[in-house]
Amino acid sequence: MSGERASKIIEVAEAAAAVDDGMTISIGGFINSGHPMAIVRQLIKDGRRNLTVVGAASSGLETDLLIAAGVASHVISPYVGAEGFAGIGPAFRKAAQDGSLDIFELDEAHFYAGLRASAQRVPYNPWRAGVGTDLPKVNPKLKQYRDPINDELLIAVPAIEIDVCFLHASVSDIYGNVQHNGTRYGDIAMYNAASATYVSVEKVVSPEQIRADPLKTSIPGATGIIRAPFGSHPYSADGYYVPDAEHIKQYLAVATTWLKSGDRTDLDAYIEEYIVGPADHAEYLERIGIRTLLSINEY
Amino acid sequence: MNETASPKEVMAAVIAHGLEDGQWVEVGANLPVPRAGALLGHMTHGPNMTVMIAMTKAYLRDTPVIDEFEFITDVGAMRWAEAYYQHDQLLNNQRHRANGVFFCGGIQIDRYGNSNMIGIGDDYSKLKFRGPGPIGTTNAAAQNGTWHLVTNSHDARVLVDRVDYVSAVGYGRGEPNLRQDLGLPNGGPSSIITPMAVFGFDEETRSARLKSVHAGFTVDDVVANTGFEIIIPSEVPVTDGPTDEELTLLRTRIDAQGALRA
Repeated sequence: MSGERASKIIEVAEAAAAVDDGMTISIGGFINSGHPMAIVRQLIKDGRRNLTVVGAASSGLETDLLIAAGVASHVISPYVGAEGFAGIGPAFRKAAQDGSLDIFELDEAHFYAGLRASAQRVPYNPWRAGVGTDLPKVNPKLKQYRDPINDELLIAVPAIEIDVCFLHASVSDIYGNVQHNGTRYGDIAMYNAASATYVSVEKVVSPEQIRADPLKTSIPGATGIIRAPFGSHPYSADGYYVPDAEHIKQYLAVATTWLKSGDRTDLDAYIEEYIVGPADHAEYLERIGIRTLLSINEY
Repeated sequence: MNETASPKEVMAAVIAHGLEDGQWVEVGANLPVPRAGALLGHMTHGPNMTVMIAMTKAYLRDTPVIDEFEFITDVGAMRWAEAYYQHDQLLNNQRHRANGVFFCGGIQIDRYGNSNMIGIGDDYSKLKFRGPGPIGTTNAAAQNGTWHLVTNSHDARVLVDRVDYVSAVGYGRGEPNLRQDLGLPNGGPSSIITPMAVFGFDEETRSARLKSVHAGFTVDDVVANTGFEIIIPSEVPVTDGPTDEELTLLRTRIDAQGALRA
Protein backbone atom coordinates (compact mmCIF):
# COMPACT_ATOMS: atom_id res chain seq x y z
CA MET A 1 0.00 0.00 0.00
CA SER A 2 1.16 3.49 -0.74
CA GLY A 3 -0.14 7.02 -0.57
CA GLU A 4 -1.80 8.99 2.17
CA ARG A 5 -5.37 10.19 2.47
CA ALA A 6 -5.42 13.97 2.06
CA SER A 7 -6.80 16.37 4.60
CA LYS A 8 -9.44 18.77 3.25
CA ILE A 9 -8.81 21.41 5.91
CA ILE A 10 -8.06 24.83 4.39
CA GLU A 11 -8.12 28.48 5.43
CA VAL A 12 -10.98 30.88 4.70
CA ALA A 13 -8.86 32.80 2.19
CA GLU A 14 -8.12 29.61 0.21
CA ALA A 15 -11.82 28.82 -0.10
CA ALA A 16 -12.65 32.35 -1.22
CA ALA A 17 -9.79 32.19 -3.75
CA ALA A 18 -11.76 29.54 -5.65
CA VAL A 19 -14.00 32.38 -6.86
CA ASP A 20 -13.21 34.60 -9.83
CA ASP A 21 -15.10 37.74 -10.79
CA GLY A 22 -18.20 36.91 -12.84
CA MET A 23 -18.75 33.44 -11.38
CA THR A 24 -21.96 32.03 -9.92
CA ILE A 25 -21.72 31.23 -6.22
CA SER A 26 -24.29 29.96 -3.74
CA ILE A 27 -24.63 30.73 -0.06
CA GLY A 28 -26.39 28.16 2.14
CA GLY A 29 -28.49 28.61 5.28
CA PHE A 30 -31.96 30.13 5.60
CA ILE A 31 -32.94 33.73 6.50
CA ASN A 32 -31.37 34.28 9.93
CA SER A 33 -29.50 30.99 10.25
CA GLY A 34 -26.66 28.91 8.88
CA HIS A 35 -24.89 31.29 6.49
CA PRO A 36 -21.11 30.83 6.00
CA MET A 37 -20.34 34.40 7.05
CA ALA A 38 -16.58 34.06 7.52
CA ILE A 39 -16.39 33.21 3.81
CA VAL A 40 -18.92 35.89 2.80
CA ARG A 41 -16.79 38.52 4.54
CA GLN A 42 -13.66 37.20 2.80
CA LEU A 43 -15.32 37.57 -0.63
CA ILE A 44 -15.99 41.22 0.22
CA LYS A 45 -12.41 41.73 1.51
CA ASP A 46 -11.10 40.22 -1.72
CA GLY A 47 -13.07 42.80 -3.71
CA ARG A 48 -14.90 40.24 -5.85
CA ARG A 49 -17.16 41.82 -8.47
CA ASN A 50 -20.00 40.90 -10.79
CA LEU A 51 -20.92 37.68 -8.98
CA THR A 52 -24.22 35.92 -9.52
CA VAL A 53 -25.30 35.01 -6.01
CA VAL A 54 -27.64 32.07 -5.56
CA GLY A 55 -29.04 32.89 -2.13
CA ALA A 56 -31.07 30.38 -0.16
CA ALA A 57 -34.72 29.69 -1.04
CA SER A 58 -35.23 32.31 1.63
CA SER A 59 -32.04 34.35 1.73
CA GLY A 60 -31.04 36.44 4.67
CA LEU A 61 -29.03 39.62 4.93
CA GLU A 62 -25.84 37.83 3.81
CA THR A 63 -27.14 38.31 0.27
CA ASP A 64 -28.14 41.87 1.13
CA LEU A 65 -24.60 42.52 2.40
CA LEU A 66 -23.05 41.16 -0.82
CA ILE A 67 -25.26 43.58 -2.77
CA ALA A 68 -24.39 46.48 -0.43
CA ALA A 69 -20.65 45.74 -0.79
CA GLY A 70 -20.83 45.76 -4.59
CA VAL A 71 -19.98 42.06 -4.92
CA ALA A 72 -23.32 40.77 -6.23
CA SER A 73 -24.64 42.08 -9.54
CA HIS A 74 -27.14 39.25 -10.09
CA VAL A 75 -29.28 37.48 -7.49
CA ILE A 76 -31.16 34.19 -7.87
CA SER A 77 -33.44 33.86 -4.84
CA PRO A 78 -37.19 33.85 -4.13
CA TYR A 79 -36.74 36.08 -1.05
CA VAL A 80 -34.14 38.39 0.47
CA GLY A 81 -34.90 39.64 3.98
CA ALA A 82 -34.72 39.01 7.70
CA GLU A 83 -38.30 38.17 8.80
CA GLY A 84 -39.13 40.19 11.93
CA PHE A 85 -35.91 42.27 11.71
CA ALA A 86 -36.72 43.47 8.17
CA GLY A 87 -39.36 42.13 5.81
CA ILE A 88 -37.22 43.06 2.81
CA GLY A 89 -33.43 43.48 2.73
CA PRO A 90 -32.69 47.22 2.42
CA ALA A 91 -29.79 46.91 -0.04
CA PHE A 92 -31.74 44.39 -2.10
CA ARG A 93 -34.65 46.81 -2.23
CA LYS A 94 -32.49 49.81 -3.09
CA ALA A 95 -30.57 48.04 -5.84
CA ALA A 96 -33.77 46.52 -7.27
CA GLN A 97 -35.52 49.91 -7.33
CA ASP A 98 -32.45 51.60 -8.88
CA GLY A 99 -32.36 48.95 -11.58
CA SER A 100 -28.72 48.23 -10.67
CA LEU A 101 -29.39 44.63 -9.61
CA ASP A 102 -30.47 41.85 -11.94
CA ILE A 103 -32.97 39.62 -10.11
CA PHE A 104 -33.87 36.17 -11.37
CA GLU A 105 -37.50 36.26 -10.25
CA LEU A 106 -38.79 32.85 -9.13
CA ASP A 107 -40.66 30.87 -6.49
CA GLU A 108 -38.88 28.54 -4.05
CA ALA A 109 -40.29 25.53 -5.93
CA HIS A 110 -38.71 26.87 -9.15
CA PHE A 111 -35.50 27.44 -7.23
CA TYR A 112 -35.21 23.76 -6.33
CA ALA A 113 -36.33 22.70 -9.82
CA GLY A 114 -33.45 24.76 -11.25
CA LEU A 115 -30.94 23.31 -8.79
CA ARG A 116 -32.23 19.80 -9.56
CA ALA A 117 -31.75 20.40 -13.30
CA SER A 118 -28.14 21.41 -12.68
CA ALA A 119 -27.58 18.36 -10.47
CA GLN A 120 -29.06 16.13 -13.19
CA ARG A 121 -27.06 17.91 -15.95
CA VAL A 122 -30.18 18.59 -18.00
CA PRO A 123 -31.13 22.04 -19.39
CA TYR A 124 -34.28 22.45 -17.31
CA ASN A 125 -36.72 20.82 -14.94
CA PRO A 126 -40.47 21.22 -15.44
CA TRP A 127 -42.76 22.67 -12.79
CA ARG A 128 -46.52 23.13 -12.71
CA ALA A 129 -46.98 26.16 -10.47
CA GLY A 130 -46.28 29.53 -12.06
CA VAL A 131 -48.49 29.02 -15.10
CA GLY A 132 -50.95 31.89 -15.39
CA THR A 133 -48.78 34.22 -13.28
CA ASP A 134 -46.60 37.14 -14.39
CA LEU A 135 -43.38 35.31 -13.46
CA PRO A 136 -42.60 34.23 -17.06
CA LYS A 137 -43.17 37.87 -18.11
CA VAL A 138 -40.84 39.46 -15.56
CA ASN A 139 -38.35 36.58 -15.90
CA PRO A 140 -38.37 35.43 -19.56
CA LYS A 141 -35.94 32.64 -18.67
CA LEU A 142 -38.91 30.85 -17.06
CA LYS A 143 -40.74 29.55 -20.09
CA GLN A 144 -44.35 28.42 -20.16
CA TYR A 145 -44.67 25.45 -22.52
CA ARG A 146 -46.76 22.37 -23.40
CA ASP A 147 -45.08 19.19 -22.25
CA PRO A 148 -44.49 16.53 -24.93
CA ILE A 149 -45.98 13.67 -22.86
CA ASN A 150 -49.47 14.86 -21.85
CA ASP A 151 -49.61 18.28 -23.54
CA GLU A 152 -50.00 19.94 -20.13
CA LEU A 153 -49.14 23.58 -19.51
CA LEU A 154 -45.93 23.75 -17.45
CA ILE A 155 -43.02 26.05 -16.63
CA ALA A 156 -39.52 25.11 -17.84
CA VAL A 157 -37.08 26.23 -15.14
CA PRO A 158 -33.53 26.48 -16.51
CA ALA A 159 -30.71 24.72 -14.68
CA ILE A 160 -29.13 26.88 -11.97
CA GLU A 161 -25.50 25.90 -12.43
CA ILE A 162 -23.25 26.86 -9.53
CA ASP A 163 -19.48 27.25 -9.84
CA VAL A 164 -18.75 27.36 -6.13
CA CYS A 165 -21.10 26.58 -3.23
CA PHE A 166 -20.41 27.86 0.30
CA LEU A 167 -22.15 26.32 3.32
CA HIS A 168 -21.90 26.41 7.11
CA ALA A 169 -22.58 23.25 9.13
CA SER A 170 -22.11 21.74 12.54
CA VAL A 171 -19.17 19.34 12.22
CA SER A 172 -16.88 17.59 9.75
CA ASP A 173 -13.89 15.29 9.86
CA ILE A 174 -10.69 16.39 8.13
CA TYR A 175 -11.72 14.37 5.06
CA GLY A 176 -14.74 16.51 4.25
CA ASN A 177 -17.55 14.33 5.65
CA VAL A 178 -19.98 16.96 6.89
CA GLN A 179 -22.83 16.54 9.38
CA HIS A 180 -25.50 19.17 9.92
CA ASN A 181 -27.32 19.55 13.22
CA GLY A 182 -31.12 19.62 13.00
CA THR A 183 -32.57 20.63 9.66
CA ARG A 184 -30.35 21.23 6.65
CA TYR A 185 -32.53 23.87 4.97
CA GLY A 186 -31.75 23.65 1.21
CA ASP A 187 -28.00 23.11 1.61
CA ILE A 188 -27.97 19.65 0.03
CA ALA A 189 -29.80 20.84 -3.10
CA MET A 190 -27.16 23.57 -3.51
CA TYR A 191 -24.31 21.10 -3.00
CA ASN A 192 -25.78 18.78 -5.63
CA ALA A 193 -26.01 21.66 -8.13
CA ALA A 194 -22.43 22.91 -7.62
CA SER A 195 -19.06 22.02 -9.16
CA ALA A 196 -17.22 22.63 -5.86
CA THR A 197 -18.43 23.00 -2.27
CA TYR A 198 -16.59 24.58 0.64
CA VAL A 199 -18.08 24.13 4.10
CA SER A 200 -17.19 26.07 7.22
CA VAL A 201 -17.92 24.14 10.40
CA GLU A 202 -18.29 24.93 14.06
CA LYS A 203 -16.01 22.03 14.94
CA VAL A 204 -13.74 19.52 13.25
CA VAL A 205 -14.30 16.13 14.88
CA SER A 206 -12.71 12.70 14.73
CA PRO A 207 -13.45 10.24 11.91
CA GLU A 208 -14.73 7.91 14.65
CA GLN A 209 -17.39 10.44 15.64
CA ILE A 210 -18.57 10.71 12.02
CA ARG A 211 -18.63 6.92 11.65
CA ALA A 212 -20.73 6.58 14.82
CA ASP A 213 -23.72 7.90 12.85
CA PRO A 214 -22.99 7.77 9.11
CA LEU A 215 -26.64 8.28 8.23
CA LYS A 216 -26.25 11.79 9.61
CA THR A 217 -23.53 12.66 7.09
CA SER A 218 -25.19 15.26 4.89
CA ILE A 219 -22.27 15.98 2.53
CA PRO A 220 -20.02 12.98 1.90
CA GLY A 221 -17.03 14.81 0.53
CA ALA A 222 -16.80 18.58 0.53
CA THR A 223 -14.09 20.14 -1.64
CA GLY A 224 -12.70 21.94 1.39
CA ILE A 225 -13.45 22.35 5.09
CA ILE A 226 -12.87 25.57 7.00
CA ARG A 227 -12.59 25.57 10.78
CA ALA A 228 -14.78 28.48 11.80
CA PRO A 229 -16.30 28.53 15.29
CA PHE A 230 -18.98 31.25 15.28
CA GLY A 231 -18.58 31.13 11.50
CA SER A 232 -22.23 32.01 10.92
CA HIS A 233 -22.23 35.09 13.20
CA PRO A 234 -24.34 37.29 13.30
CA TYR A 235 -26.75 34.55 12.22
CA SER A 236 -27.49 31.41 14.22
CA ALA A 237 -25.93 27.97 13.93
CA ASP A 238 -28.31 25.19 14.92
CA GLY A 239 -27.30 23.77 18.28
CA TYR A 240 -24.53 26.34 18.88
CA TYR A 241 -25.81 29.89 19.08
CA VAL A 242 -28.82 32.08 18.38
CA PRO A 243 -28.85 35.16 16.10
CA ASP A 244 -26.98 38.24 17.38
CA ALA A 245 -29.99 40.52 17.15
CA GLU A 246 -28.09 43.68 18.09
CA HIS A 247 -25.48 43.16 15.39
CA ILE A 248 -28.10 42.36 12.74
CA LYS A 249 -29.96 45.56 13.70
CA GLN A 250 -26.69 47.50 13.46
CA TYR A 251 -26.23 46.34 9.85
CA LEU A 252 -29.89 47.02 9.08
CA ALA A 253 -29.64 50.57 10.40
CA VAL A 254 -26.69 51.50 8.15
CA ALA A 255 -28.15 49.73 5.09
CA THR A 256 -31.52 51.41 5.67
CA THR A 257 -29.83 54.82 5.83
CA TRP A 258 -28.31 54.06 2.41
CA LEU A 259 -31.74 53.02 1.09
CA LYS A 260 -33.55 56.11 2.38
CA SER A 261 -30.94 58.84 1.84
CA GLY A 262 -28.46 57.42 -0.67
CA ASP A 263 -25.70 58.25 1.85
CA ARG A 264 -23.24 55.34 2.18
CA THR A 265 -21.07 56.82 4.94
CA ASP A 266 -22.43 54.65 7.77
CA LEU A 267 -22.62 51.56 5.56
CA ASP A 268 -19.01 51.98 4.44
CA ALA A 269 -17.93 52.51 8.06
CA TYR A 270 -19.66 49.23 8.99
CA ILE A 271 -17.91 47.38 6.15
CA GLU A 272 -14.55 48.88 7.20
CA GLU A 273 -15.05 48.06 10.88
CA TYR A 274 -16.27 44.48 10.55
CA ILE A 275 -15.15 43.21 7.15
CA VAL A 276 -12.23 45.04 5.57
CA GLY A 277 -10.50 46.01 8.82
CA PRO A 278 -10.15 42.66 10.61
CA ALA A 279 -7.18 40.64 9.34
CA ASP A 280 -9.03 37.33 9.66
CA HIS A 281 -12.02 35.55 11.22
CA ALA A 282 -10.38 35.51 14.66
CA GLU A 283 -9.87 39.27 14.60
CA TYR A 284 -13.49 39.72 13.49
CA LEU A 285 -14.60 37.73 16.53
CA GLU A 286 -12.34 39.88 18.72
CA ARG A 287 -14.12 42.97 17.43
CA ILE A 288 -17.51 41.37 18.21
CA GLY A 289 -16.20 40.58 21.70
CA ILE A 290 -16.17 37.55 23.93
CA ARG A 291 -19.06 38.77 26.10
CA THR A 292 -21.36 39.13 23.10
CA LEU A 293 -20.34 35.74 21.72
CA LEU A 294 -20.96 34.04 25.07
CA SER A 295 -24.34 35.74 25.42
CA ILE A 296 -25.65 34.16 22.19
CA ASN A 297 -23.91 30.82 22.75
CA GLU A 298 -26.86 28.63 23.70
CA TYR A 299 -29.05 25.90 22.17
CA MET B 1 -68.51 35.50 20.45
CA ASN B 2 -66.47 37.42 22.95
CA GLU B 3 -66.81 41.17 22.41
CA THR B 4 -63.30 41.88 23.65
CA ALA B 5 -61.48 39.85 21.01
CA SER B 6 -59.00 41.93 18.99
CA PRO B 7 -59.34 42.03 15.17
CA LYS B 8 -56.36 39.69 14.82
CA GLU B 9 -57.85 37.27 17.34
CA VAL B 10 -61.03 37.27 15.26
CA MET B 11 -58.93 36.50 12.16
CA ALA B 12 -57.26 33.60 13.99
CA ALA B 13 -60.67 32.22 14.95
CA VAL B 14 -61.88 32.47 11.34
CA ILE B 15 -58.82 30.48 10.24
CA ALA B 16 -59.28 27.87 13.00
CA HIS B 17 -62.98 27.40 12.22
CA GLY B 18 -62.12 26.69 8.59
CA LEU B 19 -59.62 23.94 9.36
CA GLU B 20 -60.46 20.23 9.44
CA ASP B 21 -58.83 17.49 11.45
CA GLY B 22 -56.25 15.55 9.46
CA GLN B 23 -55.13 18.49 7.32
CA TRP B 24 -51.50 19.57 6.89
CA VAL B 25 -50.84 23.15 7.92
CA GLU B 26 -47.58 25.04 7.67
CA VAL B 27 -47.05 27.71 10.27
CA GLY B 28 -44.74 30.50 9.18
CA ALA B 29 -42.80 31.85 12.11
CA ASN B 30 -43.33 35.55 11.57
CA LEU B 31 -46.99 35.32 10.53
CA PRO B 32 -48.65 35.47 13.96
CA VAL B 33 -52.24 35.38 12.70
CA PRO B 34 -52.13 32.20 10.54
CA ARG B 35 -49.86 30.66 13.18
CA ALA B 36 -52.41 31.29 15.93
CA GLY B 37 -55.29 30.14 13.71
CA ALA B 38 -53.57 26.89 12.79
CA LEU B 39 -52.60 26.16 16.39
CA LEU B 40 -56.12 27.02 17.60
CA GLY B 41 -57.59 24.55 15.10
CA HIS B 42 -55.03 21.95 16.18
CA MET B 43 -55.85 22.47 19.88
CA THR B 44 -59.63 22.54 19.57
CA HIS B 45 -60.48 19.97 16.91
CA GLY B 46 -57.30 18.87 15.13
CA PRO B 47 -55.59 16.01 17.00
CA ASN B 48 -54.57 14.47 13.66
CA MET B 49 -53.44 17.64 11.98
CA THR B 50 -49.85 17.74 10.73
CA VAL B 51 -48.50 21.03 12.02
CA MET B 52 -45.23 22.31 10.57
CA ILE B 53 -43.74 24.86 12.94
CA ALA B 54 -40.30 26.48 12.63
CA MET B 55 -38.72 23.80 10.39
CA THR B 56 -40.22 20.91 12.40
CA LYS B 57 -43.26 18.69 12.27
CA ALA B 58 -44.81 18.88 15.73
CA TYR B 59 -47.67 17.70 17.95
CA LEU B 60 -48.48 20.51 20.37
CA ARG B 61 -51.80 19.70 22.06
CA ASP B 62 -50.02 18.66 25.29
CA THR B 63 -47.83 21.74 25.40
CA PRO B 64 -48.90 24.16 28.17
CA VAL B 65 -47.60 27.32 26.48
CA ILE B 66 -46.37 27.41 22.89
CA ASP B 67 -43.57 29.96 22.69
CA GLU B 68 -43.68 32.63 20.06
CA PHE B 69 -41.01 32.18 17.40
CA GLU B 70 -39.48 35.27 15.92
CA PHE B 71 -37.75 33.22 13.22
CA ILE B 72 -38.65 30.22 11.10
CA THR B 73 -35.12 28.99 11.85
CA ASP B 74 -35.58 29.12 15.65
CA VAL B 75 -33.99 25.96 17.04
CA GLY B 76 -36.12 26.28 20.18
CA ALA B 77 -38.71 24.28 18.24
CA MET B 78 -36.31 21.31 18.27
CA ARG B 79 -37.83 20.24 21.59
CA TRP B 80 -41.06 19.35 19.79
CA ALA B 81 -39.68 17.98 16.55
CA GLU B 82 -41.11 14.67 15.40
CA ALA B 83 -39.42 15.31 12.07
CA TYR B 84 -37.25 18.02 10.56
CA TYR B 85 -38.39 20.11 7.67
CA GLN B 86 -35.64 19.74 5.07
CA HIS B 87 -36.69 22.47 2.77
CA ASP B 88 -35.62 20.95 -0.56
CA GLN B 89 -37.28 17.65 0.35
CA LEU B 90 -40.52 19.41 1.26
CA LEU B 91 -40.56 21.08 -2.15
CA ASN B 92 -39.83 17.77 -3.84
CA ASN B 93 -43.03 16.35 -2.41
CA GLN B 94 -46.07 18.02 -3.91
CA ARG B 95 -48.30 14.93 -3.89
CA HIS B 96 -49.04 15.29 -0.17
CA ARG B 97 -50.09 18.92 -0.62
CA ALA B 98 -53.58 17.93 -1.74
CA ASN B 99 -54.41 17.68 1.97
CA GLY B 100 -52.66 20.94 2.73
CA VAL B 101 -53.98 24.36 3.71
CA PHE B 102 -52.09 27.55 2.87
CA PHE B 103 -52.42 31.21 3.83
CA CYS B 104 -51.13 33.58 1.17
CA GLY B 105 -50.21 37.20 1.86
CA GLY B 106 -49.46 39.96 -0.61
CA ILE B 107 -48.28 43.54 -0.91
CA GLN B 108 -51.35 43.76 -3.17
CA ILE B 109 -54.39 41.43 -3.32
CA ASP B 110 -57.07 41.99 -5.95
CA ARG B 111 -60.81 41.38 -6.29
CA TYR B 112 -60.17 38.11 -8.14
CA GLY B 113 -57.87 36.73 -5.44
CA ASN B 114 -54.59 37.29 -7.26
CA SER B 115 -51.62 38.15 -5.04
CA ASN B 116 -48.53 40.26 -5.75
CA MET B 117 -45.31 39.84 -3.78
CA ILE B 118 -43.02 41.23 -6.48
CA GLY B 119 -43.41 45.01 -6.43
CA ILE B 120 -45.41 48.15 -7.14
CA GLY B 121 -44.98 50.14 -10.35
CA ASP B 122 -45.62 49.83 -14.09
CA ASP B 123 -41.95 49.42 -15.05
CA TYR B 124 -40.59 46.16 -13.64
CA SER B 125 -37.00 47.30 -14.17
CA LYS B 126 -37.61 50.44 -12.04
CA LEU B 127 -40.16 49.45 -9.42
CA LYS B 128 -41.48 52.19 -7.14
CA PHE B 129 -41.52 49.66 -4.30
CA ARG B 130 -39.69 46.36 -4.43
CA GLY B 131 -41.54 43.57 -2.59
CA PRO B 132 -39.91 40.64 -0.84
CA GLY B 133 -40.24 38.25 -3.81
CA PRO B 134 -42.61 35.35 -4.43
CA ILE B 135 -41.03 33.24 -1.61
CA GLY B 136 -43.13 30.08 -1.86
CA THR B 137 -46.51 31.64 -2.56
CA THR B 138 -46.61 30.89 -6.30
CA ASN B 139 -46.28 27.18 -5.67
CA ALA B 140 -48.19 26.84 -2.42
CA ALA B 141 -51.23 28.61 -3.87
CA ALA B 142 -51.19 26.15 -6.78
CA GLN B 143 -50.50 22.92 -4.93
CA ASN B 144 -52.36 23.01 -1.62
CA GLY B 145 -55.88 21.59 -1.61
CA THR B 146 -57.21 24.67 0.18
CA TRP B 147 -55.90 28.21 0.45
CA HIS B 148 -56.89 31.61 1.73
CA LEU B 149 -55.58 35.12 1.25
CA VAL B 150 -54.72 36.87 4.50
CA THR B 151 -53.69 40.47 5.11
CA ASN B 152 -53.11 42.45 8.30
CA SER B 153 -53.80 45.70 6.39
CA HIS B 154 -57.37 46.28 5.33
CA ASP B 155 -56.38 49.20 3.16
CA ALA B 156 -57.30 50.42 -0.34
CA ARG B 157 -53.59 50.30 -1.29
CA VAL B 158 -53.44 46.57 -0.52
CA LEU B 159 -56.94 45.51 -1.59
CA VAL B 160 -56.81 46.73 -5.20
CA ASP B 161 -58.84 46.20 -8.36
CA ARG B 162 -55.89 44.68 -10.19
CA VAL B 163 -52.47 43.73 -8.83
CA ASP B 164 -49.45 45.18 -10.67
CA TYR B 165 -47.86 41.71 -10.94
CA VAL B 166 -49.48 38.32 -10.35
CA SER B 167 -47.09 36.14 -8.34
CA ALA B 168 -49.82 33.78 -7.02
CA VAL B 169 -52.77 33.34 -9.36
CA GLY B 170 -56.30 33.36 -7.99
CA TYR B 171 -59.12 33.65 -10.54
CA GLY B 172 -57.25 35.75 -13.13
CA ARG B 173 -59.77 38.35 -14.35
CA GLY B 174 -62.71 36.10 -13.60
CA GLU B 175 -62.50 33.99 -16.77
CA PRO B 176 -64.65 30.85 -16.39
CA ASN B 177 -62.60 27.66 -15.93
CA LEU B 178 -59.29 29.55 -15.87
CA ARG B 179 -57.73 27.29 -13.26
CA GLN B 180 -58.85 24.10 -14.98
CA ASP B 181 -57.52 25.41 -18.31
CA LEU B 182 -54.15 26.16 -16.70
CA GLY B 183 -54.13 22.68 -15.15
CA LEU B 184 -53.89 23.97 -11.58
CA PRO B 185 -54.70 21.25 -9.05
CA ASN B 186 -56.97 23.22 -6.67
CA GLY B 187 -60.13 25.23 -7.27
CA GLY B 188 -58.75 28.62 -6.23
CA PRO B 189 -58.68 30.75 -3.08
CA SER B 190 -61.56 30.27 -0.64
CA SER B 191 -61.50 33.66 1.04
CA ILE B 192 -59.74 36.91 1.84
CA ILE B 193 -59.38 37.33 5.59
CA THR B 194 -58.62 40.86 6.89
CA PRO B 195 -58.73 42.62 10.28
CA MET B 196 -62.14 44.04 9.30
CA ALA B 197 -63.99 41.41 7.30
CA VAL B 198 -64.03 38.12 5.42
CA PHE B 199 -64.64 37.96 1.66
CA GLY B 200 -65.63 34.90 -0.33
CA PHE B 201 -65.76 34.77 -4.15
CA ASP B 202 -68.89 34.90 -6.31
CA GLU B 203 -69.45 31.58 -8.13
CA GLU B 204 -70.36 33.31 -11.40
CA THR B 205 -68.02 36.30 -11.66
CA ARG B 206 -65.25 35.00 -9.34
CA SER B 207 -65.09 38.51 -7.85
CA ALA B 208 -64.82 39.16 -4.10
CA ARG B 209 -68.14 39.05 -2.22
CA LEU B 210 -68.48 40.22 1.38
CA LYS B 211 -69.09 37.20 3.61
CA SER B 212 -69.00 38.71 7.10
CA VAL B 213 -67.86 41.82 8.94
CA HIS B 214 -66.06 41.62 12.29
CA ALA B 215 -67.79 42.99 15.40
CA GLY B 216 -67.03 46.69 15.80
CA PHE B 217 -66.99 47.39 12.04
CA THR B 218 -69.73 48.20 9.54
CA VAL B 219 -70.23 47.42 5.85
CA ASP B 220 -69.54 51.12 5.20
CA ASP B 221 -66.16 50.83 6.95
CA VAL B 222 -65.29 47.92 4.68
CA VAL B 223 -66.35 49.77 1.52
CA ALA B 224 -64.42 52.91 2.54
CA ASN B 225 -61.19 50.95 3.06
CA THR B 226 -61.33 48.60 0.07
CA GLY B 227 -59.85 49.54 -3.29
CA PHE B 228 -62.06 47.24 -5.37
CA GLU B 229 -65.77 47.01 -6.07
CA ILE B 230 -67.32 44.58 -3.58
CA ILE B 231 -70.32 42.35 -4.14
CA ILE B 232 -72.45 43.01 -1.06
CA PRO B 233 -75.30 40.62 -0.29
CA SER B 234 -78.49 41.98 1.30
CA GLU B 235 -77.63 40.37 4.64
CA VAL B 236 -74.05 40.52 5.92
CA PRO B 237 -73.58 38.62 9.20
CA VAL B 238 -71.14 39.44 11.98
CA THR B 239 -68.02 37.24 11.77
CA ASP B 240 -67.93 34.24 14.10
CA GLY B 241 -65.04 35.28 16.32
CA PRO B 242 -63.47 33.20 19.08
CA THR B 243 -65.67 31.58 21.71
CA ASP B 244 -64.78 32.26 25.34
CA GLU B 245 -62.95 28.94 25.43
CA GLU B 246 -61.04 29.74 22.24
CA LEU B 247 -60.09 33.18 23.48
CA THR B 248 -58.73 31.64 26.67
CA LEU B 249 -56.70 29.15 24.63
CA LEU B 250 -55.33 31.96 22.48
CA ARG B 251 -54.37 34.16 25.40
CA THR B 252 -52.93 31.53 27.73
CA ARG B 253 -51.35 28.88 25.51
CA ILE B 254 -51.07 29.92 21.84
CA ASP B 255 -50.43 33.65 21.95
CA ALA B 256 -49.38 34.14 25.57
CA GLN B 257 -46.93 36.87 24.48
CA GLY B 258 -49.83 38.84 22.96
CA ALA B 259 -48.78 39.30 19.32
CA LEU B 260 -52.45 39.36 18.29
CA ARG B 261 -53.35 42.02 20.83
CA ALA B 262 -50.44 44.36 20.02
